[in-house]
Amino acid sequence: MTQTAVDPITLDLIENALINARFEMDEVVRRAAMSPTIRVQHDEFPMICNERGQMIVGQFGSYIPEVIERFEGRIEEGDVVLLNDPYLCKGSISHCNDWLVILPIFHEGVHVGFASMFGHMMDVGGKVAGSQVNEALSIWEEGLRIPPVKIFEGGVLNETALQIILNNTRTPIVNRSDLMALIGGCRAAERRVVEICERFGRATFSAACDALLTRTRDAMVRLIHQYIPEERVSFTDWVDDDGLGNGPFKMVLTIWRDGDVCHVDWTGTSDQAPGSINFHINEGLCKLFFGIYMIMAFDPQILFNDGLYDVFEVTLPEGSLLNPRFPAPLSNRVNTHTRFFDCQSGALGQKAPDLAMAAGYGTSPAFVFSGTDEHGRYFQFVELLFGGIPGRPIADGLDGHSWWPMFRTTPSEYTESYYPVRIDHYIPVRDSGGAGLHRGGTGIEKLYVFTGPGEFTVHDDRALISPWGIGGGRAGGRSHKLLIKADGTEIELPSKVDAHPVQAGDRLVFRTAGAGGWGDPLERPAEEVLRDVNRGLVSRESSERDYGVVLDGNGVDERATGELRARMAQDRGEVPQFDYGVLPEGVTVG
Amino acid sequence: MLRMGIDVGGTFTDLLLHDTESEEVWLAKTPSTPQNQSVGVLEGIAVIGRLADVGPERLDAILHGTTVATNAVLEKRGARVGLIVSEGWRSMLHLAEAWTPGPLFGWMIYEKPEPIADYEDTREVPGRMAADGTVVRALDRDAARAAVADLRDRGVEALTVSLMNAFASPEHEREVAEIARAEAPGLSVSISCDVMPEFREYERTVTTVMNAYVSPVLDRYLSSLRTGLDEVRAGADLQVVRSDGGLMSLESARSIPVHTMLSGPAGGVKGASFVAAAAGFDRILTFDMGGTSTDVATCSGGQPIITRETTVGEFPVRAPSVEVESIGAGGGSIAYIADMTGALRVGPQSAGADPGPACYGRGGTQATVTDANVVLGHLPPRLLGGEIGLDVDAAHASVDAIASRLGLDVHAAAAGIVDIVNENMLGALRVVTVQKGLPPSEFALVSFGGAGGLHANALAALLGCFPVLVPPESGVLSALGFVAAEIKNEFSETFIRDAEDTDADELRARLGALAGLADEWLAGERVADADRRVDYVVDTRYQRQGFEIPIDVGAGELPDLTLEALTERFNVVHERLYGFRLPSGAEIVSLRAVAQGGTRSPQIPRHDPGPADPSAAQSGTHTVWAGGVAQEVPTYSRAQLHAGARIEGYAIVEQYDATTIVLPGHVATVDPYLNLLIAPEAT
Repeated sequence: MTQTAVDPITLDLIENALINARFEMDEVVRRAAMSPTIRVQHDEFPMICNERGQMIVGQFGSYIPEVIERFEGRIEEGDVVLLNDPYLCKGSISHCNDWLVILPIFHEGVHVGFASMFGHMMDVGGKVAGSQVNEALSIWEEGLRIPPVKIFEGGVLNETALQIILNNTRTPIVNRSDLMALIGGCRAAERRVVEICERFGRATFSAACDALLTRTRDAMVRLIHQYIPEERVSFTDWVDDDGLGNGPFKMVLTIWRDGDVCHVDWTGTSDQAPGSINFHINEGLCKLFFGIYMIMAFDPQILFNDGLYDVFEVTLPEGSLLNPRFPAPLSNRVNTHTRFFDCQSGALGQKAPDLAMAAGYGTSPAFVFSGTDEHGRYFQFVELLFGGIPGRPIADGLDGHSWWPMFRTTPSEYTESYYPVRIDHYIPVRDSGGAGLHRGGTGIEKLYVFTGPGEFTVHDDRALISPWGIGGGRAGGRSHKLLIKADGTEIELPSKVDAHPVQAGDRLVFRTAGAGGWGDPLERPAEEVLRDVNRGLVSRESSERDYGVVLDGNGVDERATGELRARMAQDRGEVPQFDYGVLPEGVTVG
Repeated sequence: MLRMGIDVGGTFTDLLLHDTESEEVWLAKTPSTPQNQSVGVLEGIAVIGRLADVGPERLDAILHGTTVATNAVLEKRGARVGLIVSEGWRSMLHLAEAWTPGPLFGWMIYEKPEPIADYEDTREVPGRMAADGTVVRALDRDAARAAVADLRDRGVEALTVSLMNAFASPEHEREVAEIARAEAPGLSVSISCDVMPEFREYERTVTTVMNAYVSPVLDRYLSSLRTGLDEVRAGADLQVVRSDGGLMSLESARSIPVHTMLSGPAGGVKGASFVAAAAGFDRILTFDMGGTSTDVATCSGGQPIITRETTVGEFPVRAPSVEVESIGAGGGSIAYIADMTGALRVGPQSAGADPGPACYGRGGTQATVTDANVVLGHLPPRLLGGEIGLDVDAAHASVDAIASRLGLDVHAAAAGIVDIVNENMLGALRVVTVQKGLPPSEFALVSFGGAGGLHANALAALLGCFPVLVPPESGVLSALGFVAAEIKNEFSETFIRDAEDTDADELRARLGALAGLADEWLAGERVADADRRVDYVVDTRYQRQGFEIPIDVGAGELPDLTLEALTERFNVVHERLYGFRLPSGAEIVSLRAVAQGGTRSPQIPRHDPGPADPSAAQSGTHTVWAGGVAQEVPTYSRAQLHAGARIEGYAIVEQYDATTIVLPGHVATVDPYLNLLIAPEAT
């Protein structure tokens, strides 16, 4: 295609049109999907690419060239590619639950771009309901792996392939609907891109895509120069365990700047785990996460796109937790995924206070309950839970909120209407928000009361290693699971449990981790501590012990508080930049 | 009958009086009095009374739309509400469904609003219903009594009760309400199963609390208005416009104020659909562009599309409402260059009324959409019938600052600002059309609001929705919508069942029972038997899908309604909205009866068409910049344009509070109702 200049206004118009199209994709998918994971918890991600497969707008890493290569150029109008094998797309999706569709976009017969989405399926087969197998030793146990296949070819659905795929899941109807929703989202993007080509011309669209890539790259270079130091800065955090009794697993991140380029080096990270917490991350995605983190702190309207690929250099040691060798199991990679972000905050925050966030609840806690109801029908309920949002430069962390964007809790009245379980309480966990000038968010506790038999699966982390605090802020509370049998017997559970049988009357206490605090708790206004105590979010003991705030019957005892705070400030010595809470034996801060 | 619609706007109060016997209509406009709105209203009644030679005592009905309830939420001026919930659920509003905004890391900069019932004013009561309405644990009446007493002593102004699974059985809520009335006789008490008897605990609780939160504010306002009316012996019924564009009595509005949250915008949409239907267009997009925001909505069959879920601020409200999409784009939207990328952006920050756009000469220096329109020459430097002069130099200076950073000349930058704000508004229009499976080409665009006429032609060209219809006086549109509205209310219940397991007789019986409530309500609103109608809506979805689609069932269709027919109707709508249907069965979620009481709508006066030549209305010319070239463009006075007049673009049509642009390649004609209809020139 010949070079076409694009004037700045047209560029901004096309940018706006692409952003509108990207949100329309979300809207179509959320409304048409059937599973709560997509329609309520919004576990889906869109992207629109240029004809070379570079993401222009969207929210994940481009992998399209790698996938399309497999078809040796035979990609036609009306084709839709489906895949879910992380090892066949260099980790662009990182476990088999994510189904990825790619739709080439044509304008007047000319290939102009791609629309793509992936979404989290309820079940893709494998050993346990939900397909996130804590006990898996290889990806062969984690369900069906779909290589890139044309699920639509020239506009015709490959019903045979789809039948084979759906027959290997426990939730075929739901998956079918979710898959069609993802394709519907891509078709929406296709229509919009074609409209843009008609309005502005194909050559202008293509030139605008290039200009949008350059614009993001240039902005990123400025951010890197401002916020990434030339000297090396390292940060270490851990994933508790792999569900098989191994761990904790260390993650070490070192960043530095060399010219325009930000180096992201994960050397020192533990070897891959025997269990399923391995996070096979795509290099491009790794770059994107750094870009998004910095963009969000400074100008959320900057487009996230592949333009920032050139200005990051990533090292992911082969055979490590972040670059495992096939066929390592991957299904519970979300723990490692989230710890990746925690390391990012810890490393970036050391030299740039604007970027300093504490650690949050640190995973995506999940509860799966399945069985056969009294009519002999199979049921499977999956819900995600939330915890403490980190203490932040601008404010407290939120209590029991979602670290992941735009997720929502499933209404309990929905759950109770359809499944043999009741949720007796849903409360913040007192004192689980790390103390700080800006307090970390608290974790939450749900009490599930089973009203019929079945088996449950639990995914969580941060039961061992606390979410750390930053800049004087203290560590937050850890997660905890307790099963109380109908006869009153209490069974302590680890944070990762597969297919545990239950009977009517059994109860599960599901407690998620809180988040670390930000800044010095001794500087937190006493009235805010009092308010937290009144709300039951902070105990009176913590008020004195962690904040130096003395409360009497009516409120803050100003004099006693002033004295206590002065004494505490004197006694504690130098305040470390990070507070890790109580570390288990053998774990050292590096 | 003499019926009067009154719309209180930020600047003006518009009134419309309709004599249903003689079919005469009178219009009046008076300055609004924000300190005490009823002053302006009463002045307006006096003015229109003199015009029509009608004393206030002769009015039969006064129909009123208001933004008081919405503003109370946005400005945090509502009542202090005490909330009683089931044990274990005190934090429901605080945890707020755990939602944080996108994209990834959106939580870093998220400022979450405080719940509208304070955490400290929320109490738990032991006792639990199951989702099938059976009692899991009996209500602890002593604890309920203690909770009520505690909240009363803390000084709450209203009490609300929202217990788990109350949609399935209201028993516990009613018990708590009874205790509350005994323990705190001075406090108003509301319960969730009365306000919104549907499942999903968070939305039901927020809706119930919001109802109580806005209640005293709306009540004070309506009382002062009622008192003012009584003082001039205007004993007419005061009726309030609902969020769904219907009317209800003062008493109903007081008991369920949450149904008035979108009263203001609903009036405009209703009025636009009425005017357009009279002109022969029953599928329209409404486009209401003001100073800080733009509201768009879809009307089909001459009626606005109704949704049951909307948001006020960040709070979800479940109440029947006109489906309005609102975005932060208006005449006052500020244009700026982003630091990191150098991209030109417009809004959502607005210069508001103070300082306002640079051209207002009140100290504003940042370029706004209005300034760009001045620079382009689309907005001649006189507004409000010449009362406010515009500072053209200030507009140029503000846009010039943008232009120099972009390396463009001032006119190109101004055109860019207008193009970008148009693109943002186009996004909103797409949400209500293509995203709902509706082809824009089948719709006309009805433009109103102060800035609408400057952008409507360009937007229609982008979206392909012609003609553009600009009513003669957009200010009076809401008042007209009120007068054209029907008495309306909805009665609903949650009834979750697979369609294939549902007995048609039971479905009809349940809908019939709701219809009984609807009819009783209409009687209470003093609607004559012959004017009453009850239609039905069955909210349906595929099994366990997340969103329901309302499926309409007409009054006459109920006796023969089959589940197969209902399911097929649902399949068709689902396919239109989302592009596919599913083999899995349909599931019924909620049943509704929609009560409607007919009213006599006014006839809009018709004018016989005169000659096509508009030159008698030409007021002069003005210099317009298009594509970097200056050209003289004729200006016309809207007030002088007669029916049948035909104006070829490029042209500017001025009226005292709005300006309309007719673009090159387009023609505007004046229809018999004095609407301006803009369409592409026939080729």
